[in-house]
This record gives sequence, structure tokens and C-alpha cells, in this order.
Amino acid sequence: MSDNKNNNGKIDTRTIQSILKENKKQIKLGLTMCAHCSLCAESCFLYMSRDLDPEYMPSYKFLHSIGKLYKKKGKVSAGQLEKMRDLVFCNCVLCTRCYCPFGIDIPSLITLGRRVCRSQGLFREYDKA
Amino acid sequence: MIKAKPKPIPEIQNYIESFDKILIAGCGGCVSVCLAGGQKEVNILKTELELAFSKTNTKKEIAGYTVERQCNSGLIEELDAIVTHYDCIISIACGAGIQHLAERYPAIPVLPGVNTIAIGVDLDIGLYEERCRACGECVLAYTAGICPVTRCAKGIFNGPCGGTNGENCEVSDAIDCAWLLIYNRLKEQNRLEDILKIQPPMEWKNTIKRTIVQKGYENRYIEK
Repeated sequence: MSDNKNNNGKIDTRTIQSILKENKKQIKLGLTMCAHCSLCAESCFLYMSRDLDPEYMPSYKFLHSIGKLYKKKGKVSAGQLEKMRDLVFCNCVLCTRCYCPFGIDIPSLITLGRRVCRSQGLFREYDKA
Repeated sequence: MIKAKPKPIPEIQNYIESFDKILIAGCGGCVSVCLAGGQKEVNILKTELELAFSKTNTKKEIAGYTVERQCNSGLIEELDAIVTHYDCIISIACGAGIQHLAERYPAIPVLPGVNTIAIGVDLDIGLYEERCRACGECVLAYTAGICPVTRCAKGIFNGPCGGTNGENCEVSDAIDCAWLLIYNRLKEQNRLEDILKIQPPMEWKNTIKRTIVQKGYENRYIEK
């Protein structure tokens, strides 16, 4: 079990790798199937209300979080993971309304990105300005 | 959003006394925003319970895990592989999340770690105020955006009641008379005639479980 913990800045690569391994099929499928068509973009209300900022595109959010983690085999620095935390927690509200014409389950992939962050004690803190 | 408040530690301790392996399940939704049931609060509750049990030399295995939202079946799935290791779950999600977990894991006692208080607004960090009781019969159009169900002690649809004590409610000087607020705002908006529009009696639909089927989804969920 990957307990939600606070690692005080240290990255536990093994835990990340075990989450990646457990969900390898789903991540690989998402990465392979994404044609970068950007059709998912308009289904995201945050993208639409943030002046079409590409960092709010659903595909961008999963490719630059769980996608990047997968490609780097879980070997990321604390700084890189903090950036991913900001991406998956602040640029997405997980409304699960994003749509992929190829059927990629984008919310699940973003959830996986969040799961990795949570496993390293990184999450959105609502009592910080 | 939904607002909740952590239960006192002795109350939780009381629930879990007979269990050895305890899982605290957090929720990344509304209760994270109101600082009652997110990952940070999971960690705090874990520490507090460990401390409380250490005082009585009671050994318990307490772990924490936070999912993104306990009110969504897809998002609690990841708990399936974890919960089997525990004797009970303390959920610190809202009442809906707690019941959702209890339905998914009927063999494991799911216990509340928070009191769900209200649907409210954020006045500041850690400061929230109730605004809605989800009655299902919104009359805000006629009441200048002030909810008589939430803010009037009697919850009356057609007011005021006659018990107004100056500017306050007869229940307490600390409570504004909701209907005076409604009157003043309607007057300011030059539509005082709305206060005279009699609203049909409330059906109190929120006293039974309701199912919400959105417009356009009737064919999918309602049998003809």
C-alpha cells in the first residue's frame, strides 16, 4: 500500500515506480493513443475560461504529469514533482468532463498523476495563499 | 461547497476502541478546501489518534490514504486493494462520501471522522458561512438572493413572521431577521412587489433521499 505521507522533500522513487507499474497498461495506452489533436481542449471549462492557455488542455495535463513520470521511469526531482503537483491540482478540478475522441480516459490519468504526488506528500494546500 | 468540521478526538477514539487496524480515508474534494478532510487533515488525525492511544498504552495500526473524491465511484476504486487490510475505516469526507464508502465496503465498518455542517461560502481561510440547505425549491429569485430557508430561524417562505425583534430574530439578538434583509434588498433593487408574491408551501423534499437526473439524461436513466 502506498500510504499518503510527507517525505519532507525526499522523493521515494520506488513508490512512484510501483504506482507506474501497477497502471502501466493504462498509461501506455493513453500515451500511444494521444494524437495531439487538441480536440479535448474545448471540453475543459478551465481552458476555455483561461484565454485558451495550452497548459489547461486536458492532454497537456496528463502528458506533462503521469506521461512525463512514465517516460522518466519515475526518476524525477522534488522540483519536477512540485511542478507536476501544481499542474494536476491547480490546472484541473477533476470535473471528469473532458472528452477524447479516441476514448482516452483523461481524468483517470490525471488522477494517477495526483496519486503519485500524494504518495510523496505533495498535494494542494488550501490554507496557503 | 460542502463544509465540514472534524469530530472531537475522544468521540472518534470511542468508535474505534474495538478495532486494531484503522484506515483514515481522506477526500480531495470540498472537505479539503474547508480544511476538514484532505490529506493534511488525514496526517493530523493520524498523529492525534496515535498520541491519544499512546497515553493509554493501546497499540493500534493507523494508516492514512486520500482519494480525489469519495463521492465518485471511479475515484474510490483505488481503495479496493487497500481496505481489505483494515478492521475499520474512518472517513473524513462529507456525509455523502462516508455513505458512499460504506456502500462500497459493506463488510467493513465505515465511521465518520467529521461532522458535515453545510453548503456554504468561504469568508476567509478557515472561516465559512452557511448559505444553502439544498431544499430543492429555490426561491432566491423572489427573496433578493437571500435564502429564507437557511437564514430565517423558522425557514418560512412567506415572511416576516411577526416575531422580529427590532432588526433581529426573536430567537437571538445575534441572528439578523432574514426577512428584514430580504425587504431591505428588494427595496434597494426597486422590486418590493416580489415580497408580496405568495410562495406555495415548501414540500420539504430534502427529508427523503433524492435522485438527480439532469435535463437531457432522462432517456438514459428513467424507464418509460
